[in-house]
Amino acid sequence: MDAIIQLIHVSKCYDRRPALSDVTLEIEKGEFVLLMGPSGAGKSTLLRMLIGEEQPDEGQIFVHGRNVTKLKPSEVPYLRRKIGTVFQDFRLLSKKSVFDNVALPLVVQGVSERDIRRKVTEALRAVGVDHKKDQPPNSLSAGEQQRVCIARAIVNGPVVLLADEPTGNLDPERTGEIIELFKLINARGTTVIVATHDPQIVKQIHRRAVTLVDGVLTQERRSTERIET
Amino acid sequence: MRRFLYIVREAWANMRINRTTTIVAILTTAFTLACVGIFLLLYVNLRHAAGWLQEDVKIMVYLDDGVSTPLRQALEQQLKVDRMVAEVVFISKEQALKEFRAQFPADSHLLEGLGENPLPASFVVTLAPNYRSPESMQGWADRVQTMEGVAKVDYNQEWINVLTELIGYIELVAIGVGLLLSAASVTIIGNTIRLALFTRREEIEILRSIGATRTFIRIPYFIEGAALGAFGSALSLGILKIGFELFRQQMQLTGRFSGIESMLSFFPLSLCLALIMAGMGLGLAGSVVSLLRVGEGRT
Repeated sequence: MDAIIQLIHVSKCYDRRPALSDVTLEIEKGEFVLLMGPSGAGKSTLLRMLIGEEQPDEGQIFVHGRNVTKLKPSEVPYLRRKIGTVFQDFRLLSKKSVFDNVALPLVVQGVSERDIRRKVTEALRAVGVDHKKDQPPNSLSAGEQQRVCIARAIVNGPVVLLADEPTGNLDPERTGEIIELFKLINARGTTVIVATHDPQIVKQIHRRAVTLVDGVLTQERRSTERIET
Repeated sequence: MRRFLYIVREAWANMRINRTTTIVAILTTAFTLACVGIFLLLYVNLRHAAGWLQEDVKIMVYLDDGVSTPLRQALEQQLKVDRMVAEVVFISKEQALKEFRAQFPADSHLLEGLGENPLPASFVVTLAPNYRSPESMQGWADRVQTMEGVAKVDYNQEWINVLTELIGYIELVAIGVGLLLSAASVTIIGNTIRLALFTRREEIEILRSIGATRTFIRIPYFIEGAALGAFGSALSLGILKIGFELFRQQMQLTGRFSGIESMLSFFPLSLCLALIMAGMGLGLAGSVVSLLRVGEGRT
């Protein structure tokens, strides 16, 4: 299989405190990977590096065949268009409707009005909130807001989906629903990386899990789940 | 289309969200530009007046008292064929006396006691439009002065020169004040944009994360800055126009400067449009300065 993400001896320090130390990791196309570790372990730093928001002090990062560490600032937005991002705090625009929030990645790419309508409707249907498309995000429950955030992340068919503590603000029942949604997205061929500190998720999902502690990759568990596509 | 609408809507939303700051920015810009406008209006009107006076300058060629008719006719012919001359009018001694009496009836008795008419015959010469510069006039006058039968060549160039010099000073002051106040406008608009950037920092963050380019993120702020500049500039023209009309009305009422008020003119439409464009440019500069300073758009 082809590696869609490669980190080769990546290190990063903040004020001489190491956030990542000599991390080497390879993720194959279509994989579902859990990035585990306590708060401050370096999970978010690693995800930010994958979208070109941070640069490593040492090492190389390849995403979808592009060396992220060598990208010009003007090329970074085009990399981000291939990567969907889901945040713990949803980061939805409260003054826009659910539909407009999900349409935003397509709007910035200059997609035609007709395609926007079609793709946004499909994405909202896939996450199960199409009936709330005209409502402002604030009127939705936390679980629904996270679904809208996921719809926005997948609307332009990304090759990779990154989720940073996506269930941090959700109760166990909603957490299970969101994880199922990620599995569904993964089953359609998108590589999914979920960063979490919640050990319950690792118990629920028997997929590949890598653990970071103080910026060092300490453990790796291979996938034991039978993947249905 | 949605992209274009999004950009315009965002610019409008920026102005609406920070309504008070937007209004303050427009008003401050308007008053700042109105101050520059006062100097500009003064400059335009003085230049207009100088041009009008320059157009109207007549050169008096006074003749010797004893000049014979054939010599006078030869002189007139010589002046008429001169390519620098547009018009020549002969004023005889008698005509000059008549005109003096008509223009200064109260002082006409002064000439009574002299017996003989002391006023000389003259040619009133208007130079062709291409030769009305101070240098051309001086050269022409020097040349004619040497002709046989010519006593003196006279024209009111001196105070036109004074006026031109005054215009030069006003031009300098206008440029100085203009630059200073323009910098103030750029700062005011720049601060408004910075506030908009601060208010919408979360949205900018989201746009970056979903792959919006720097240009896409920046355009609404450029539009906002340009719009603030244009609105401020248009308002300043409104303020100036009201002030100008009140001033003209006041002059008419006092009656002390009869006729002058009709010579005063406001900026022509083309200049008004140019000033609004300049306001837009200042606003745009404010946005650029602000976006660069805040460092928006870094990935």
